[in-house]
Amino acid sequence: MFWRKTKAAIGRFHPLHQGLVFERTLSATLRPADWDSLIASLAQHEAQVKRRKWALPPRVVTTLVPLIRVLSEDMAPTGTLGITADLRGPEAPGKAGPQRPLPVRRPVRSCVEWYAIDPWLRVRAELRDGSVLELAVVDRVRYRKIHKVNPRGKHKTKTKTKSAQRITASRVLAKGASIRRPGSPPPPWVAVKVRGTEAGTGGRPVLRSAAKMRDVPKDLTQAERILTVATELFRWTPPGTARRSA
Amino acid sequence: MNRCMVTTGFFVLGRCGRNPVTTCGSCGRPVCDRHVMPDGLCAECATARGYGGGDPYHPFWARGYRRTHYQRSSQAYGDSYYYSSFDDYDRGAFDPDDAYDPDYEPYDGNGYVDS
Repeated sequence: MFWRKTKAAIGRFHPLHQGLVFERTLSATLRPADWDSLIASLAQHEAQVKRRKWALPPRVVTTLVPLIRVLSEDMAPTGTLGITADLRGPEAPGKAGPQRPLPVRRPVRSCVEWYAIDPWLRVRAELRDGSVLELAVVDRVRYRKIHKVNPRGKHKTKTKTKSAQRITASRVLAKGASIRRPGSPPPPWVAVKVRGTEAGTGGRPVLRSAAKMRDVPKDLTQAERILTVATELFRWTPPGTARRSA
Repeated sequence: MNRCMVTTGFFVLGRCGRNPVTTCGSCGRPVCDRHVMPDGLCAECATARGYGGGDPYHPFWARGYRRTHYQRSSQAYGDSYYYSSFDDYDRGAFDPDDAYDPDYEPYDGNGYVDS
């Protein structure tokens, strides 16, 4: 009745796992082996915790765990993977912007619009080829609260939402790494910028890709979408070409 | 000298290159102790048989998902070379020159993406 066994089970989980359960946030920079121990702890959650209040946020399974698994594959054992995730959702305090009224006509009495900006994921991974991959995902949700009054004086309030998502990826290559333009351009929804390739600069080439999506997926397609945007950064360095030329 | 020929990495592909302890019972490649499965298969043959297919918590999930990702992203980008390069690398002969040089300078940038 008081969930004592469940509380005890949560108390045995990884500290970052407990943070995801109670605060729905995660911020850590660890090595791949340490992330593996967190994932091993997360894998036990569903079997040991039945209370809905303490369920893991859905994005843990659909996004965080797949990204950790994928990026760990590309890292040296001594490389670090930093993740800052805020899985409280766009309605958490502090994410909503100022409200503004919209012009209305009867039977609508009032309409108020505001936006919530939710930068819920930032990732920084030191890859084994010497490059550094950074990912950022920001959701933007538009809210419209509409108040209607019908001829009999009945009041109705409706809130509509419209979501968009921006995914940004950047890759700072190792010094002296060679890049080459892919044979085909990226799809129109992916924008690419390349810097640091000017002759004689001797700096680190920086590749950036960004995409704005018109919806926010709820399942494993979220991780696929992030990885698809990041893929553009690796098309410039096919296998065997990203190592130092010197 | 034989080396473990299992393909490692997801975006940054490479060969394992460690000393083998056995050969895969399915494809016959030399496999090291880190990549040999309990049934004597290499990690890729075990993945091809469906182990760890759909569960991201499974330790081999990323290895199975790698081929799916290359296939899908190759379609999304209209870039058949991207998938074929992975395929060549996955199946090609071991080339010691393809190993990444770990002797790189640490990145001293200013952290996360700025936009």
